[in-house]
Amino acid sequence: MTGRIPIRVANKRAYIWDVDDLNRIRSDHRLCGLLVGTLPHLSQQNVFLGLPSQLTPEEATLLVEKEYAVFVDDANAYPEPSLSQFQQWSAEQKEYIKHQHAVLGAENMKTQEVAQLAVSEEAIRKRKERELKRQQKAMELRKLQEMEGDPVAGSELPVLIPAVNAGPSTSPTTPSAHTQYNICITTPSSALSWYSPDSCTYSTIEAAQKAGIWDFPLNLQDRARYGVFKDLWEQGFFLGGGIRFGGDYLVYPGDPLRYHSHFCATVIESLTHSIQPMEIVAHGRLGTATKKTHLFCGWDDEKKTVSYLSIEWAGFG
Amino acid sequence: MLEIHPSYPALASVAEKYPTHQGSLFQTYNDILLAQQWRDVQVIDLVLCKRGALQGRRPRTAADADLLLHIVPCSLAESISLAWIQDVFAALANPPSIYLAVVSDDSSIVYYKLSSGIVKPSI
Repeated sequence: MTGRIPIRVANKRAYIWDVDDLNRIRSDHRLCGLLVGTLPHLSQQNVFLGLPSQLTPEEATLLVEKEYAVFVDDANAYPEPSLSQFQQWSAEQKEYIKHQHAVLGAENMKTQEVAQLAVSEEAIRKRKERELKRQQKAMELRKLQEMEGDPVAGSELPVLIPAVNAGPSTSPTTPSAHTQYNICITTPSSALSWYSPDSCTYSTIEAAQKAGIWDFPLNLQDRARYGVFKDLWEQGFFLGGGIRFGGDYLVYPGDPLRYHSHFCATVIESLTHSIQPMEIVAHGRLGTATKKTHLFCGWDDEKKTVSYLSIEWAGFG
Repeated sequence: MLEIHPSYPALASVAEKYPTHQGSLFQTYNDILLAQQWRDVQVIDLVLCKRGALQGRRPRTAADADLLLHIVPCSLAESISLAWIQDVFAALANPPSIYLAVVSDDSSIVYYKLSSGIVKPSI
């Protein structure tokens, strides 16, 4: 199992957390995944968002079945650290904080001069002058309104104006640079010394299903989807999600970053599954308008084979 | 009323054999022959699929004018399946592609080209 890519499974979803693994999956195995980032409800699904990359059930299953990858039950890969492991981690943290203070201290020397300028006597005096002018103006305006006998202005409630603090600044003391530090949480946590995935790594789909961390392919619909996905992948195509064009997959002749898709594929569970002629019209016309052929991919669950039908508008009628 | 239409004699044998499909066959035949101006249009009997189909050549001005093409009419209200389409291909001696004529009640017809296997878009 050495050298196989770890697919981290959480809540029956497959994630890739290492950018080198992602690179191997894409360039060696023609699978793309989707960069979803770590904000579950704000997944951007584009190339600009960060790790992790989420693999579709088909992609993850294919990688494991072809023996390129293994499933790791991520939740159980982190047991409690031992005392010595924790002490070592704690010492590293302290060292890191110390390092931050050293760097911060050097930078503070420069910024202090700028900060002092803002609280200098001159600046405070100017601020007070501005405040006084504003109050005088407001007073004049009120007097003017009273003279005109404006009832609304006359019955105006007194406005609370906070007294300007004349004494020396007594603002609460901000924590000094010596107590401030950043906590850094690195994306992959596999470097932690107590990380031990060996007891919860599964190299086959069956083993992962038995362990209860993986379901796919569960039923006829899943088998059909997976059968079609694998068959197209084995023919050298790249596959992407088909939602943009109302299908199950988009079929690319090469990496989607370099090519447009030529086909939009719909998975049909069985050859006898009923199809409405309107589906042919809808898929066919949209496909032709977007320079794609629509593929009906019929799954034969007994023979485990796929038969394809390409649909295009006839160009007349 | 179909019987008195000038197109009827050419369709009679197949139309009477499969009465449920005679409406879509009749409309497709007239559209292909008169509106689309196809040549050498003939009715064929798809015994295996229990319905009639058409064959013919596109107008002389078309790019593929000499090819003998096949058209299978079906009603918009029918349910079909991939197995049914495969039977049609088999009954026509497995041409690379066929045309499916989808006929609606209001006499509008659309044609879709169905090719077996993975065939790239033609542009």
